[in-house]
Amino acid sequence: MTRLLHLMIVWHTVLFAVPAIHAQPLQTGFSFVDEGTYNKINTTTPLNYDNRILPQPTFGQMGTASLSLGYSVFSGSLGFTAVTNNLSKPEYDYRIRELSADISVTDEINLLIGKNILKWGTGYAFNPTGVVEPQRSPSDPSDRLNQNDGRTLLSLTAYHEKSSLTFVYLNDARVVNSTLYWGTNEYAIRANTFLSGFDISLIGYYKQSDRLECGANFSYVIGDQLELHGECLVKTGSSYQYHRIITTDNEKQIFISDPYMTLYDNSKRIFYKALFGGQYTFNNGVNLALEYYHNAEGLSSQEWNRWMNFVKFQDAIQKGTIIVPPEMVEPSRLNLLWSLKTFSPRGTMRDYFFARGFYSTESWSFEAICFMNANDMSTVLVPSVTRRVSENCSLYVRYTAYLGRDGSEFGSLFTTTALNLGIGVQL
Amino acid sequence: MIVKRINQMRHKFISLALCVVMLLAIKIASAQMEQSIERRKDTPTAEEILHQSDLSRNGWESYTVITSIKNYVDEELKDEGSFEVSMKGADKTLVKFLNADVKGQYLLMLDDAMWIYMPNTRKPIRITPLQRLMGNASNGDVARTRYADDYAATLKREQVIDGVSCYMLELMAKREGATYQRIEYWVAKENLWPKKAEIYLTSGKHYKTIIYDKYRLISDRVLLSQMTILDALREGRTTIMTFTGYTQRDIPAKYFNKDYLEKLR
Repeated sequence: MTRLLHLMIVWHTVLFAVPAIHAQPLQTGFSFVDEGTYNKINTTTPLNYDNRILPQPTFGQMGTASLSLGYSVFSGSLGFTAVTNNLSKPEYDYRIRELSADISVTDEINLLIGKNILKWGTGYAFNPTGVVEPQRSPSDPSDRLNQNDGRTLLSLTAYHEKSSLTFVYLNDARVVNSTLYWGTNEYAIRANTFLSGFDISLIGYYKQSDRLECGANFSYVIGDQLELHGECLVKTGSSYQYHRIITTDNEKQIFISDPYMTLYDNSKRIFYKALFGGQYTFNNGVNLALEYYHNAEGLSSQEWNRWMNFVKFQDAIQKGTIIVPPEMVEPSRLNLLWSLKTFSPRGTMRDYFFARGFYSTESWSFEAICFMNANDMSTVLVPSVTRRVSENCSLYVRYTAYLGRDGSEFGSLFTTTALNLGIGVQL
Repeated sequence: MIVKRINQMRHKFISLALCVVMLLAIKIASAQMEQSIERRKDTPTAEEILHQSDLSRNGWESYTVITSIKNYVDEELKDEGSFEVSMKGADKTLVKFLNADVKGQYLLMLDDAMWIYMPNTRKPIRITPLQRLMGNASNGDVARTRYADDYAATLKREQVIDGVSCYMLELMAKREGATYQRIEYWVAKENLWPKKAEIYLTSGKHYKTIIYDKYRLISDRVLLSQMTILDALREGRTTIMTFTGYTQRDIPAKYFNKDYLEKLR
């Protein structure tokens, strides 16, 4: 109901904002993905003792459908999701992934209002300068299940020759019980141009009550086969929340409340995220992409080890190998749950490598993704094969292996392998 | 006395014959010279031939054409795709993918630079010229059809191809972003329409052959309607490209701005 109200508010805003609707045919698109997943549970991870802290299914099925509509200046897409697994009842969900009006104010200026996905980065798996885009996983950069949603925004873009200037105002306003709640104001600006073969962007971003972030990105092609790209985003201080255990050597503690806090809010320390990568296409059509990513907000090896020792301490309590007063067992379990907040889908530590190999024929395509933590060398390997059955239908097999020693980032995840079998339909 | 008289007559005859031969030789030589001068006047320069041949591959300054590509392996149809190609000037090309499985996908070419926009990644991705559109057809086969802008031409010889008298040009890439490094290009003498092209890699290896098969009268001009690409490296692989629905239209400049791609539907 609240989402319907949200939809109506956005729609009415759009209708009043647009003086005239030009006659254009209704454009429709539909995609559907049904995927079955078989997981092998990681029984040795200290984060999920005996699969009891946050039980993981061994089998799951997920169906997602995305309906997109476009008419005149309006466009939108609705997402439907159905999930079932061997541990819980089936769940259904629908959401408005995007809904916006894009108005040509003049021949060179466009105004966009509504919920929309904007992407500004040049990287493949990581986008430090993608300050306005939804979060995504480097092990699934193409969002195969259509899980990324747009953000509520107003953007004004001026185009001139090979350059553009965009100003964006974002506010994730929500309607709850018929009341509109405004979110935090965010502002972003981007200037892009194409100069001497370089595609260059300068980016500024400010979130209310936070700090200004500035960055730049580029892409450049050398010869027929090699493309290079890079991104950098810099700020002073950080509002990122860290587990307080990373500041101490005494990891044998049990916190009685959420232990996450900002450590560098008032700091003058420079934090930067940087990416450098490239892609090379071989004469036989094989495309290879490589990227290196550094995130100064990530945990250092020492901080990770402190946190991991803390998790192992809680795990030992759950297993009963460390005896604590009975009333402390449940808080210890809560500490394990809270600890999961440390994990970020875009990497928890500081340095990462990404590699992707891709080759396709008329009917088959082969992809292999390798996402490696350069600090502890743990790795996510994702080979996949897709068979194109017809213009509208394809079948795929995707295997994910989380490799790493005990206590490493990817070696500590809840599953060790996952096998996905799926069918995709596009109309 | 008689002998002397005979000798004098013989000398006169020989002198006369020599004069006649010389006159004939001068006549023939001058005729040939005139012919040669005339021919030189008629033969356009290599650049002119190339420029004229481009006109039959490009409708207008700003236009749209539907390009269909069919890939065959050993004469069996393996794959097909359709694209709406919009061109503005010599350096701007926008390709809209029309097949259901790549719906919403665009390729933008600005000068030598290329970006591909895919709806699932929702951003333009910079690509290299070698990344192929489909089968044997490279992006450049669809998007870069003004050879005069990309290649320096040299007229090598005249040659008959399939019964058609042609100029044979050698095209060498003069820009870094040209689709190919070297092309041997045959253009029909009669109408300056492209007839055939042989593409060579930098290594000198024969890469592919393009046959310009069919032309059609569209509005006031004759334009290419079909070409066949034969893979010289992998035998039996053929691509047929057909061009239909040529439409002259004024396409807004912002459509060719990389950041506008996400707004196109």
